[in-house]
Amino acid sequence: MQLISYAFVILWMFTFALYYLVPKKTQWCVLLGASLLFYVLGLKGIPVGLLLTGVTTYGCGLFLGRKLKQEKDALRRCSGKEEKKAVKAAFQKSRKRVQILYIAFNLGLLLFYKYAVIAAPFAERLTGAHAGFLERVIMPLGISFYTLTAISYVVDAGRENCEVETNPLKLLLFLAYFPSVTQGPFTRFQQMKEQFEREHAFRYDRMLRGIQRFVWGAFKKLVIADRMGIFVDRVYGMEASAVPGSILICATVLYMLQLYADFSGYIDMAAGVSESLDITLPDNFKRPYFAGSVAEFWRRWHISLGNWFKDYVMFSFVMSGIGRKISKACKNKGNGLGRQAAPVIGTMLVWFFTGIWHGRTVSYMLWGLYYGVIMSVSLVLEPNYAVWKEKLSIRDGRVWSLFRMARTWLIVFVADVLIRSTSLAQAGAIYTSFVRRLQIGSLLSREITSYGLSKYDFVLLFAALLLWLAVSVIEEWGFDVRTVIADRPLAVRWICYYGVVLLLLVTGIYGGSYDTAAFMYQSF
Amino acid sequence: MEAKILEILEEHCEEALSYDGGSMMEDGIIDSFTVINVVSDLEDEFDIEIDAKYVVAENFRNKEAIIALVQKLLEE
Repeated sequence: MQLISYAFVILWMFTFALYYLVPKKTQWCVLLGASLLFYVLGLKGIPVGLLLTGVTTYGCGLFLGRKLKQEKDALRRCSGKEEKKAVKAAFQKSRKRVQILYIAFNLGLLLFYKYAVIAAPFAERLTGAHAGFLERVIMPLGISFYTLTAISYVVDAGRENCEVETNPLKLLLFLAYFPSVTQGPFTRFQQMKEQFEREHAFRYDRMLRGIQRFVWGAFKKLVIADRMGIFVDRVYGMEASAVPGSILICATVLYMLQLYADFSGYIDMAAGVSESLDITLPDNFKRPYFAGSVAEFWRRWHISLGNWFKDYVMFSFVMSGIGRKISKACKNKGNGLGRQAAPVIGTMLVWFFTGIWHGRTVSYMLWGLYYGVIMSVSLVLEPNYAVWKEKLSIRDGRVWSLFRMARTWLIVFVADVLIRSTSLAQAGAIYTSFVRRLQIGSLLSREITSYGLSKYDFVLLFAALLLWLAVSVIEEWGFDVRTVIADRPLAVRWICYYGVVLLLLVTGIYGGSYDTAAFMYQSF
Repeated sequence: MEAKILEILEEHCEEALSYDGGSMMEDGIIDSFTVINVVSDLEDEFDIEIDAKYVVAENFRNKEAIIALVQKLLEE
């Protein structure tokens, strides 16, 4: 079930009505019912993967809770510091063993579902038997998202950073909460539990704000992302040698914006639905294309995924036994650079996993390593930046900020060619075209309109992008656009609200029966 | 102790000293690499071990939170 569909809007309306009608203590049950309905209708089958993850997560959580309680009791009985240390270490070891088993099982499930289809030919070659069943494996809806969400709960429970949930249905709601189950944002158990269990009273302004955010998200998806997608798909669907480099550059820039409009559009819609139900989802985007460095870009793009990798991979590795050993061994080597050894290895690990989390091809792996290398190099070189700036007499200001922003765009641009291309060979051919067959005139000639978008579409896209830019600048200045509009006179408010709705209805890219293209991050 | 912690913070992230917001990590004042370096120096200086479970935004929301964390670990 797509978020932009009649079925979803009906589900949302019924959930909304029921949610505020039932006794407040049972509101979470309405959310659970809606989430399961959304999931089963979207999957069109029995959610085996989700249930397996749910059951193991619940069991592991209970085990950790019991062990933590036993540890506290045992510590109370200890007298000396050394004895306490030994008890702590013993309990930690048993908890870790179960956590590792749990993580291996669930990551194994994720890998199985993600790679079964491409593993089929290899399995056939290896065993000689037909592995058709692997080809028929369907990836469970949102598995890449709910698996990491479940792992975060188990790690947090083991670290005592969240409560252990004793009600399996409440845990299932956390994993399958319908606005965020298919594409995030990644949520943390404690934040969601408190919100699910709170009593929520109906508020007209909150409902209105939720709808506004949903419509704005749909606008970004249907008017901007899907329109850009037509051009990008057409250009990237052709032989790179048959397309001028300038058109390929244009298609790649549009792809960068398409991905952003599509994904942030989804997040706006999910957050809007959630807001109408008085549940706040974490921020996932903070205008990433205003970033002055790649590191900053990734602090602004898919924030909840970045935080997940930072908390559960980066910090876990650096503060683990191996990480500490590396830090200790390298600390005083390389003129102080040695102390960055563990963070650099952690960074490479994070980006390798980020790559394979996003996609099943070598291109995604390379894409991850590319960012890993850039981040690591900037980390190592960082202490020199101030000196170099001084030597080159570079002053902070608008020009310098614009240069940094352009540099970030360029780095992301190069990476996005890799993940948009269908193969490494195509990516190579496209990079070559950028240099050898630029033919800049193609951008200004009629040729640009021969890739699926008319002159009207380009004008419309330009206007929509200007509107999006204006909203982004206002947000970057620290204002909430919806509040700014709400404070204007009635006529201005109506022009803004109905203008966007009208544009959405008239200029959105719809299919034959007002169906829409799937969201891009759904396939990750 | 406080003075030493502030000194470590100053060395890695001067902005942290004047920050009066609610979350240094979320506001981009202190990034993950800086956190790792600060943790490493705090461990060396006070002979404590800061487990990954303590390295969360809550414990690094401002300089006072970091001081409180070290104090807690020293008392343990």
